[in-house]
Amino acid sequence: MAAAYIIGASTTAFGPQPEKSIVSLGRDAALAALSDAGVDSASVNMGFFANVFGPLLFGDTTIGQDVFGAIGVQRAPIINIENACTSGSSAFHLAVQAIEADAADIVVVVGAEKMCVPTLGLVGGGQSDYASRNGMAAPVGFAMRAARHMHEFGTTLQQFAAVTVKSRAFAAKNPLAQFRKPTNVEEVLAGPMIADPLTRAQCCPIADGASAIVVASEKAARANGARAVRVNASVLTSGESVSAPDIVRWGTDIRTCALAYEKAGVGPDDVDVAECHDAFSISEILHYEALGFCAAGEGGRFVESGASAPGGRKPVNPSGGLLSRGHPVAATGVAQISEIVLHLRGEAGARQTPDAKVGVAQCMGGDKDGDTKSCTVVVLSR
Amino acid sequence: MTAARVLDHVFGAPPIAGGLFDVDASGAPFLMGGHCDQCDRYVFPYSESCPACLSGMKHVRLGGEGVIYSHTTVRTKPPYGLPQPYSVAFIDLNDAPLRIFALLDHSMAGGFRIGDRVKLKVGVIGHDGEGDPRARGYFTLKDSR
Repeated sequence: MAAAYIIGASTTAFGPQPEKSIVSLGRDAALAALSDAGVDSASVNMGFFANVFGPLLFGDTTIGQDVFGAIGVQRAPIINIENACTSGSSAFHLAVQAIEADAADIVVVVGAEKMCVPTLGLVGGGQSDYASRNGMAAPVGFAMRAARHMHEFGTTLQQFAAVTVKSRAFAAKNPLAQFRKPTNVEEVLAGPMIADPLTRAQCCPIADGASAIVVASEKAARANGARAVRVNASVLTSGESVSAPDIVRWGTDIRTCALAYEKAGVGPDDVDVAECHDAFSISEILHYEALGFCAAGEGGRFVESGASAPGGRKPVNPSGGLLSRGHPVAATGVAQISEIVLHLRGEAGARQTPDAKVGVAQCMGGDKDGDTKSCTVVVLSR
Repeated sequence: MTAARVLDHVFGAPPIAGGLFDVDASGAPFLMGGHCDQCDRYVFPYSESCPACLSGMKHVRLGGEGVIYSHTTVRTKPPYGLPQPYSVAFIDLNDAPLRIFALLDHSMAGGFRIGDRVKLKVGVIGHDGEGDPRARGYFTLKDSR
């Protein structure tokens, strides 16, 4: 199997951008990623484009060819991807597979989303889904995980709030994040309740934004020199239906992380920096546990200890994560990987993880039968 | 008269989907689901084929009682005209090895606890995607506090 490398990455600012279209957001990110890689559009062999809400909010479909057309990539195969919150990381996964299969030398991944419009309500699974029609929406499943985590492990409201406090502390160092003002536990808990026990600051904001990555073969990466980042593992799995899902020992999350570590030949102790899908405060606590940064049930105490905060031994979501950077759904999975690339290159500015050699990006998407629909874990190194 | 019309009459509006619940001779509601005779597996809602062995599944009664495994109360603007606030739960059913997602009684939204024993009721709650009123199943406390 051929090795895959990342030779270019770029992310736009995240937040309301009413003057931008899905295509212009995607184009901005893709052009910047190509420039970062030092390659021109004529050398792109294949493109993957991720977007979720274009069809629902604007009636826009098959947008990838418009984005790639706008950056001068024509005739090459372009594939449009939707996989909930893992749309971007699923597109990345396919790009890595194309390189590993020796089917291309340079593949560009773009995730772009425009969702800051008044018509967007609670994000759910749609009219054909039993749970969605009975009140399951994005915060609901996670709020129930939070309530159960408190019940089984004694996790506290203050520990949930600590995730947001830590997130804002990192975001203050990321000029592209949406919420950059530092906060504290009292302020997080005093905000309006969205779904008990999650207050508003524990739920990620929507955003407009895009992120792009250039994935390359070893041959194409050689020209990129020392800045090339190695893709040690990219794993994509789906959830499962079981009779009685355990919502606080998240099998799909745990399994996918373990698979990625195994494939990359590393373990949790080797990870210098991680991005994870902190759509809600409880999400990050569960992902600490799945990633093996602490024992099952210990996620609340882990964040409270400061281990995942700026200067901590295991920095998590240095970008500010979904909670502070914002969550333009299809851009998120790409942006997480881009963030890790910056740390491995030593280009993350004020939030740089010292001497980062190994990084992980974890993402999840959708609700189904008490599980997620999709999960991705990517391990990168320099 | 079709089964759906009977239910419209009993519940005051058409069910949000067919085959989710029904009433017994005494008028007590119960959930309907699927059972696979090959693997002894239950599902809710009903599925035509078993997700494990792909055999055809039988329609079976899943009872109307259970215990709250976890719950939340949604206080932001609800979808499908559901009450604001509304409570939901994962419920472990007494009569089938299933943990299902369901609405809780909105007249006591926020008043439920993990471990509460609950029973099924059916009422006109919210609407469908077109804005038409719909009957939905929901669980309320089995015993008064």
